[in-house]
Amino acid sequence: MNENLFSSFITPTMMGLPIVILIIMFPTLLFPIPTRLINNRLVSAQQWLAQLILKQMMMMHSPKGRTWALMLISLIMFIGSTNLLGLLPHSFTPTTQLSMNLGMAIPLWAGAVITGFRYKTKASLAHFLPQGTPVPLIPMLVIIETISLFIQPMALAVRLTANITAGHLLMHLIGSAALALISISPTTALITFIILILLTILEFAVALIQAYVFTLLVSLYLHDNT
Amino acid sequence: MPQLDTSTWLVTILAMILTLFILIQLKFHKYSYPLSPAPKTFKSTSFPTPWETKWTKIYSPLLLPQQ
Repeated sequence: MNENLFSSFITPTMMGLPIVILIIMFPTLLFPIPTRLINNRLVSAQQWLAQLILKQMMMMHSPKGRTWALMLISLIMFIGSTNLLGLLPHSFTPTTQLSMNLGMAIPLWAGAVITGFRYKTKASLAHFLPQGTPVPLIPMLVIIETISLFIQPMALAVRLTANITAGHLLMHLIGSAALALISISPTTALITFIILILLTILEFAVALIQAYVFTLLVSLYLHDNT
Repeated sequence: MPQLDTSTWLVTILAMILTLFILIQLKFHKYSYPLSPAPKTFKSTSFPTPWETKWTKIYSPLLLPQQ
């Protein structure tokens, strides 16, 4: 049962070729490049969405932080579209892979922190000691703040992985439970099916929320450091 | 847990870096938000001289002393 349950999270290779590359690159096909002054509906809708997200996210940043606008909008669109595509049956969701999420979280977090150290050295070092701490507690608090700083990228990556993986696992389990219950007791199967539908709606929300949370936190780390 | 099988990590990370940092950014780089083409009202750069800011009745032509 273990083998079967986790089999949807194995990186797909077809006869030795890693098609995971194609799967990760697939969401880029869903964002056409605008070529006209007035574009078709799909491109206009995506431009509107991008402007909405950009205005909301970039409002709180200084001009230095706003240079990251392209990176952050690409991040939220990439994670959002990847998560939503993963809700299709039998599809592979790249964001369930810890490798990919670590690869996203660590460079972005490190970029924000290193930018902070380069341009505002004193202020970024000051983050290690909150204001108004009593003097005897200072060494311990510096250690705690350092640990909490270094855990930020790990938390980013593991949060995204765990949320999406758990959602997919739950859907798989409840779906197979509903299927098995049909021959035993159709009413219970109906109840389980309704639970599955509610869970799917939740998963749609989770897909979008996780993208938002990831990007928001990166943006927060950026704000601290610019 | 198959996510912890590190043999595939390199391929996944490279594919993600390619996609996220190059492909997707190339798509969003082309989004442009032009300002609306309505003409802007421009403020005049010349300011009225102090004696022109207030209209005073003595400048009315019929009230000037007749010459």
